[in-house]
Amino acid sequence: MLPNIPELVIFLVLAVIAVAAALGMLASSNAIYSALFLVVNFGVVATFYLLLGAPFIAMAQVTVYAGAIMVLFLFVIMLLGAEQMKPTSHNLLWQKPLSIVLIILLLSISFYVVLGQGVSTGSDLMQNTSGYGSPSAIGTLLFQKYLFPFEATSILLLAAMVGAVVLTGVRKQRRRIRKSRRL
Amino acid sequence: MGISNYQMSSVISLLPEVGLLVLAGVVLTMDVLLKDDRKHLIAVTTAVGSLLIILAALMYSQPSGDLIWGGMVRDDMLAFVFRLAFIFAGGITAMFSIGSKELAHRGDYYAIMLGAVIGMCFMASAADLIMLYLAIETTGIAGYLLAGYVRTDDRSAEAGLKYFLFGAATSAVMLYGFSLLYGLTGETNLGAIAPILASGTVSVSAICAIVVLILVGVGFKIAIVPFHFWAPDVYEGAPSPVTGFISTASKTAGFAVLLRVFIYGLAASEYWLPAMAGLAAVTMTFGNLVALAQTNIKRLLAYSSVAHAGYVLVAFVAYSELGVASAIFYLIAYVVTNLAAFGVVIVFAHTAGTDDIQQYAGMSRRSPYLALAMLVAFLSLAGMPPLAGFFAKFYVFAAAVKADMIWLAFVGVLNAIVGLYYYLVVLKVVYVSPAPDGVGSIDIPATCKIALVVLSLGIILIGTASSPWFNWAMKAAQDLF
Repeated sequence: MLPNIPELVIFLVLAVIAVAAALGMLASSNAIYSALFLVVNFGVVATFYLLLGAPFIAMAQVTVYAGAIMVLFLFVIMLLGAEQMKPTSHNLLWQKPLSIVLIILLLSISFYVVLGQGVSTGSDLMQNTSGYGSPSAIGTLLFQKYLFPFEATSILLLAAMVGAVVLTGVRKQRRRIRKSRRL
Repeated sequence: MGISNYQMSSVISLLPEVGLLVLAGVVLTMDVLLKDDRKHLIAVTTAVGSLLIILAALMYSQPSGDLIWGGMVRDDMLAFVFRLAFIFAGGITAMFSIGSKELAHRGDYYAIMLGAVIGMCFMASAADLIMLYLAIETTGIAGYLLAGYVRTDDRSAEAGLKYFLFGAATSAVMLYGFSLLYGLTGETNLGAIAPILASGTVSVSAICAIVVLILVGVGFKIAIVPFHFWAPDVYEGAPSPVTGFISTASKTAGFAVLLRVFIYGLAASEYWLPAMAGLAAVTMTFGNLVALAQTNIKRLLAYSSVAHAGYVLVAFVAYSELGVASAIFYLIAYVVTNLAAFGVVIVFAHTAGTDDIQQYAGMSRRSPYLALAMLVAFLSLAGMPPLAGFFAKFYVFAAAVKADMIWLAFVGVLNAIVGLYYYLVVLKVVYVSPAPDGVGSIDIPATCKIALVVLSLGIILIGTASSPWFNWAMKAAQDLF
């Protein structure tokens, strides 16, 4: 079964944007630009998931990767002032030939797999299990079968949150120790 | 899988965890409301709360033996016994924490420790790979935080970071094993995985790979050779109450997972038994031999706890009801005994400010009762009758002999003799060596005193009246077969 034409056009356009954004991220010397290119890439990949009929993963991609993780990235870049750092390429000379070898290896393996097994469009999988991976199916699973682990996660997050507050609050701890020494 | 499947009994069986969560909330609120000079009440609240939870659990949430919450947890005797042991360890650790100047007055510390206890309870009862991994992570993350809690002390920070790096790496490897298990069987529930593996559709080499990968994660938790590298540094660097907690409760939780996954989930594939027997022998021997050379009491206890994990493994590879029961019995005896040993270390460091074994010289004159508690704890660790440790070792070796693993029992007995030697060396320093000039008596905080009395009585009670405890362990073991 051939994919329909408009879908193919959308895919090709998005694919070009995705590859261009990925290359732009690697090539740009400013860390902020790199991060923004990565956002574009994440957004395009999210659209791919939508085209493949996986709306939940698409939304997770947008909220978690393009949203939360990117904000974290930008914060770290801003706090470190990494956008003004000079590239330190002199001690990474040996990595360039190595990366080329690894790229060739990866490409040849992917070609071998694709040519050897043929590309599946994924459409038979989708037809067999309609509604699989839809937000409502995942929600039902999460709040029925996996309700217990879902709730248990909150304990994990609570402990981690309290711990993060404690570990970053060193200054207060030092002050308290000084006070107790004085007493 | 409808909503109607969640009955009241499923909620009641969660009583201990709910209680611990409420207690954690109370502790955090007290931390905000109380003035600095009254913060020791937080530790008391944690301990009393733990005791109440244990009593409530004994009265109201006796296990039904069913899979509940959609198959996520199994409410059986095995889980019940382990959960009570963890809550007990948490309460005792809270009482000992008063003896640590950096921890005593910090409510968030107690809350995170209770979070770790909840994670351990889930580890003991989880019957599904997803739940199991979540439980292990809850325990792990809380443990890393506790180990690195005293940020102003570089050694504690180092211990926290080391524990975290090792823990994250090994848990990733274990997760890979879980994913293979799910990929090859299509199930995440341990009870559903067992028959698929038994049917022989999964190749032996794949099962071996899964066993090795999962063993990396569990082996880290229980600190067996060759996954023990973190233990001495973390034990030495972490605050002593945390060390006691990690070396007893966290290790026991790891064993609960080991029993559940390997005997309940991977039951049909016993290829790993000879390899495990080898690991048990190496772990015992290595732990005991290296412990001989230690000069720091916390490092000594770290290596001795590696050796003790080896003894429990002996019971595990006996692979019988008796073997599992003796493993559970050993773990209960070990939790009580090792907590007492660390309690003595905490109290001594509270006054003397050091963990050096030479500084323990003449401790029996400085505080006869503390020395007595140490005598009881160390003799029990060494396996002297009539204390808990003796019967624990006795049952373990009996299980090995019954399973026709006489060579392993022999190695174990030889190791027990090596262990006896280095425990007695410490006791000789405490009782025979003269105290250095100018040191006064040792001041024992009231809560530590109570905890040491409880633990010492527990060691003697488990030893002299061992049959009810062993029957309990036997009932728990029956859930796996």
